[in-house]
Amino acid sequence: MNMHSLDRRVGLTLAVAAAGSMCLLAAGVATMVAGAVQPLTDPAPKLDPGRLGSDVAALRAEGWLWLGLIAVILTPAVRVAASLVSFAAARDWRQTAIAFAVLAVVALSVVVGYGG
Amino acid sequence: MTDLLLLVGCGSAAGALGALLGLGGGILIVPLLTLGFDLPFREAVGVSLVCVIATSSASASVYLRRGIANLRLGMTLELFTAAAALVGGLIAFALPERVLAILFAGLLAYVAIVMARGREPEAGIDLAGAAEAVDPATGTSQSSFVDRLAGEGYRVRNLGWGVAGSMVAGLLSALLGIGGGVVKVPLMNQVMRVPLRVATATSNLMIGVTASSAGLIYLLRGGIDPYVAAPTALGVFAGAGVASRLAHRVDLGLLRTAFVVILAFTAIQMLARGVS
Repeated sequence: MNMHSLDRRVGLTLAVAAAGSMCLLAAGVATMVAGAVQPLTDPAPKLDPGRLGSDVAALRAEGWLWLGLIAVILTPAVRVAASLVSFAAARDWRQTAIAFAVLAVVALSVVVGYGG
Repeated sequence: MTDLLLLVGCGSAAGALGALLGLGGGILIVPLLTLGFDLPFREAVGVSLVCVIATSSASASVYLRRGIANLRLGMTLELFTAAAALVGGLIAFALPERVLAILFAGLLAYVAIVMARGREPEAGIDLAGAAEAVDPATGTSQSSFVDRLAGEGYRVRNLGWGVAGSMVAGLLSALLGIGGGVVKVPLMNQVMRVPLRVATATSNLMIGVTASSAGLIYLLRGGIDPYVAAPTALGVFAGAGVASRLAHRVDLGLLRTAFVVILAFTAIQMLARGVS
């Protein structure tokens, strides 16, 4: 795989992930409208990963909003993962290691975030 | 419903202005939410990071598919921006909000001065030695790591300075909710001698992971209000998309002048908020 087709493949993955995450976010805003949520006056819901699935299934605004926000925030990591796979397929081990290290930093952010 | 429409509308305006003037949305979103909607500074930064990621992902995907962004260079530098953003995210929760507001006022003043002077970084294309250093079709004929970061028609210089500057950009991104392009683009262009177009596209690519690293800390520590973040991010995304298609029809000179005045005024307001 040459460099340009690798870039195109990674770019396409990023485009799909970005579109998907914005759709989830739009669904969250739609459920806000349906639930007559007042963004500047209603208290902000807390993120509870254990309740996320049931909130989404029940079409509750907070479930879809959290899902959309998590998807948006993790979209760049999807691009890095796609790069890792592509670099590994091209046997570019140095770039593969860098991509892996970037993903490790993102994972560490999750650990540190929970640690607070 | 009115609040929601206001957030979407203001997000759209910030996204459009940011796209027209080549700035990320962060520098506009944070003052808008803190001064306009009276949101706590840290929450505004959290919302801004989400907006920055959304616009960066959309534009970076285009830059990659068109072959403008340098993926190898971007990934090498974003390792350091992301690590610094992680540290910055922790510092942001330890610092008083007034200190962050004062820092932001300083950033606004800096951007206003740069825009007022009309200084544009010069593209530093270095063709010397590029042909033998890189084969853009395979990217496999280089001898050293730095050579492998080269692109078509240019070589990367001063990688060490690039790494150091990227860490500053990552730290600022996490503390102030900006993309950090204001540091990275001049750094890559003037110090690392990367052409301006490539530097802009590569900076955009790096912004996503950088803001993601900080954004996760904000998300998991309760620094993001989903009721504010979602409509604002949608607005920014839509505004930036529309503005990028209309850019050629807008008198950017007049817009730039008006924006300098707005930035200077906002810097004073933000400083007052930090000091008071």
